[in-house]
Amino acid sequence: MSHDWPGPSPVTELRTEGLVHRYADGGVRALDGVDLHVAAGERVAIVGQNGSGKTTLVRHLNGLLRPTEGRVTVDGTDAAGLTIAQLASRVGLVFQDPDRQIFAGSVRSEVEFGPRNLGRAGAELRNAVSAALDATGLAGEEATNPYDLGQSRRKLLALASVLAMRTPVLVLDEPTTGQDARGLERVRTVIESAASEGRTVIAISHDMRFVAESFERVIVMRAGAIILDGSASHVFAADAWDALASTHLEPPLAAAIGQRLDLGSTPTDASLIRALGP
Amino acid sequence: MIALAGVGYRYAGAAGPALLDIDLELRDGEVVGLAGASEAGKTTLCLVVSGLAPRTVGGQIRGQVTLDGEDVDAWPMHRLSQTIGIGFQNPSTQLSGVTDTVFEEVAFGPMNLALPRVEVVARSWAALDLLRIDALAERDPRRLSGGQQQLVAMAGLLAMRPAHLVLDEPTAQLDPAGTRMVGEAIERLAADGASILIAEQKTDLLASICSRLLVLDGGRVALSGPSAEVLADLELSRLGVAEPSEVRLRRAADAAGANVARLAGAFARD
Amino acid sequence: MTAIAAVALGGLPGPIILVAAAVVLPAMAARVLGRLVRTALLLALPIAISAFLVNLFFFPGATQVLFRIGPIVATVEGFGFALEILIRILAISGAVTLFYLTARPGDLTLDLERRGISPRIAFVINASVQTVPALVERAGQITAAQRARGLDTEGNIWRRVRGIVPIVGPVILGSIAEVEERTMALEARGFTRPGRRTLLWTPADSVRQSIGRWLMLAALVGLIVVRLTGVLG
Repeated sequence: MSHDWPGPSPVTELRTEGLVHRYADGGVRALDGVDLHVAAGERVAIVGQNGSGKTTLVRHLNGLLRPTEGRVTVDGTDAAGLTIAQLASRVGLVFQDPDRQIFAGSVRSEVEFGPRNLGRAGAELRNAVSAALDATGLAGEEATNPYDLGQSRRKLLALASVLAMRTPVLVLDEPTTGQDARGLERVRTVIESAASEGRTVIAISHDMRFVAESFERVIVMRAGAIILDGSASHVFAADAWDALASTHLEPPLAAAIGQRLDLGSTPTDASLIRALGP
Repeated sequence: MIALAGVGYRYAGAAGPALLDIDLELRDGEVVGLAGASEAGKTTLCLVVSGLAPRTVGGQIRGQVTLDGEDVDAWPMHRLSQTIGIGFQNPSTQLSGVTDTVFEEVAFGPMNLALPRVEVVARSWAALDLLRIDALAERDPRRLSGGQQQLVAMAGLLAMRPAHLVLDEPTAQLDPAGTRMVGEAIERLAADGASILIAEQKTDLLASICSRLLVLDGGRVALSGPSAEVLADLELSRLGVAEPSEVRLRRAADAAGANVARLAGAFARD
Repeated sequence: MTAIAAVALGGLPGPIILVAAAVVLPAMAARVLGRLVRTALLLALPIAISAFLVNLFFFPGATQVLFRIGPIVATVEGFGFALEILIRILAISGAVTLFYLTARPGDLTLDLERRGISPRIAFVINASVQTVPALVERAGQITAAQRARGLDTEGNIWRRVRGIVPIVGPVILGSIAEVEERTMALEARGFTRPGRRTLLWTPADSVRQSIGRWLMLAALVGLIVVRLTGVLG
C-alpha cells in the first residue's frame, strides 16, 4: 500500500542536516544550511518574519519540498526515498489557510478525507473522526457545510482533519493567525493533549505569548537560518532581545515587564506572577 | 457623523439575521473599536456602515443609516465611497491587480472619480505621505510584504478623502513587523483627528487607540461605552474577547496574591 | 495586417520579403528575435508540418516527380506549393507572436480607453491576463495541502481521477470567494461610477507612427484590390 511505512517504530524523530533550499525561479536561498533535531514528543515553536524560511522548513518535513542540498531524515530514514503519501502517515501538516484545503460538503467528509487516504476504515475511522471533532469543539457539526462555519471554526476544522490522521508528528502553520480568543484556547488545548499523548508538536506562530506559554522550545529564524534555539526562558531573556529585534520580533509582555522590574527571565504570565512575590 | 439606528441585516438566503437592533454613532474625529468573537457580526457591521451591505453584498437591511443626519438609503456605492472608506483583512485582494506601481494603485480611486489629473496626482502623494510610504511609490504593489500592501490599500482609500474610515481586522493576517507598521499608521491617523471604526481581535491595539468600544455578540451589541470601561468588564471572556494584557496580568497577580502595586508601577512607566 | 498581406501576396518571393520586413526586422529592433523564433515556430509547427507534407505528396494534377517513398510520390509542383504555404503560415504565426511579445496589455487597454471604451471593460481585459498565474498558484497550494493529507497523486488512473475533486473544489470556491472580496474592494474605490475616468497618461503615439499605420492599411487594401482584379496575374 502506498502509505506503508518502511521503518519499525511508531515514535518519530526528525532531523535536518545542512538543509539548503533554493526556489527554482529566485535563486535566493530560502534555507541556508539548517541543522535541526527534534526528538519525539517535543513541543517546538518556530518564529520569525515572513520570508525567514519557517514555512519552507516545515514543508521539508513531509516531503512537499525536497532539499536542494543537505538531508532530511524521519525516524532515521532519509526522506528523499519516501513519497509524500508515505510521509503523511508520520507527519501531519495543517496549512495556514483552511480555504486552501476544505473541499467536502460536510464537516464529517472533510475530516474523514485524511484518515481514509491513510487506509483507515470502519470503527477505527469513526473513532478517529469523533475524537478529532471533540478536541476542536466541532462535535455535533458533522453534517454542517464547512462554508457555513465562520472563519475561526473553519481553521479548527482544518486542524481536526489532520488530527484525525493520528500522526505521531503534528505541524501547525500559523494556527493563531486570524483566530479569535475562543479558537486560540482550543488550539492550546489540542496542543496540550497531543503532547500528553506523546506526539511531537511543531508550530509556526506570530503570537509570542502563545509561544511562550504552550511550547517548551522556541526556534527563531531569520533569512533562512536559525538564530536562536532554546527554552522560552532562554530565547525571551533580556540578552536575546537584540537578536529578536534584528528580525523585528518582540518578547512577550510578561518578559518585558519582568525585565523592567529586574525579576530575571519571565517569559510567561505565570512565571512573572511567581517572581513578583506577595 | 455616521449613525445607525435600530439597524438589522440579513444576508441573502440566510436563515436568520446577522445583525439585530444596532445603534451606533461614529462622530468626526472619533476612533471607535469593534470587538467580538468570530461570527459575532463585526465584519457584517463594517459592511453595513460602509454601505457595501446591502448594495454590493445583497441581503436586506432594516432601520436607518444616516450621514450627518441624511438618510443614505438611496445613495449608490460610488457616492458613498467618497465619504466612507473600508479596508479588509487580506492585503492582496484589496489591490486592483492591474497596476504596476504603488503610485498608480493609490491613484486608482481618484481616477475613477474623474477628478482633474492635477488633483489625482496631488491626492495620491498626500495619501502616500500621510502613511509615510512615499518611498514605495515606484514599487510593484504585488511584490510588497503583507504589511506594506495593507498600507498601500489604506493609502488608496485615503486618496478618496473619505470623512470616515472603516477597518475590518487590518492586522489579522500580518506578521509582527507588519502589525507594528499598520498599527502605528492607524495611531497616527487617529492622533491626526481621523474618524475610524476599527474591528480587531487584538484588544491591546484597541486599548491604545479607541476612545469608545462596542462588543458584539450574536449580532447584537453586548457592551458599549468608553474603551477603558468596556475592556475592564468581567463579561469580556464570556463574550469571546481577550482581555487586554494589562488587565489580564493585574487580575492574575491579584488572584495569586502577588504584589499588584509593583506590577502596576511597571505599567505606569510605559 | 501582416497576416492578411501574406495570404494576399501571390507567389513565393513576395511573402519572404514581407516576413523579413514586417516580422524579422521589427523583432530585431525590439530585441525579441530569439523568443519570436522559438514561439512562432512552436505555434506553427503542427499545422506547418501537416500542410507541408500534404502538399508535397498529394498536390493535385502534379506530374514532375521529385522522389518516391514506396507508393507515395513527392512532386516538384507539390514542393513548390508546399513552400508557399509554409512561408505564409510562418508569416501569420510570426506576426501574431510579434504582436503578443511587443504589445503591453496595459498600454493597449489604456489606448482603447482613451478612444472611448468603458473603463470597466478595460479593467476586465487587464485583470483577465492576471488570472491565469494566480489560478495556477492557488491550484499548486491546494494540491500541496491535499497531498499533505495523504492524497495520492502518483497511483493508478482511477485514484488520480478521484484526486481531482479535492483540488478543483477549493480552486473554484476559493476563486469565487476571492472575486467577492476583490469586487467589494473595487467598489469601495468608486469603480462602479458610470462614465469615463481620468487617465494619468496615454501611451506615446507620434505622428510618424500614425502615418505609418495609415500607409500600411492603404497598402494592404491596394494589395487586395490588385490580387482580386488579377492585374498582376
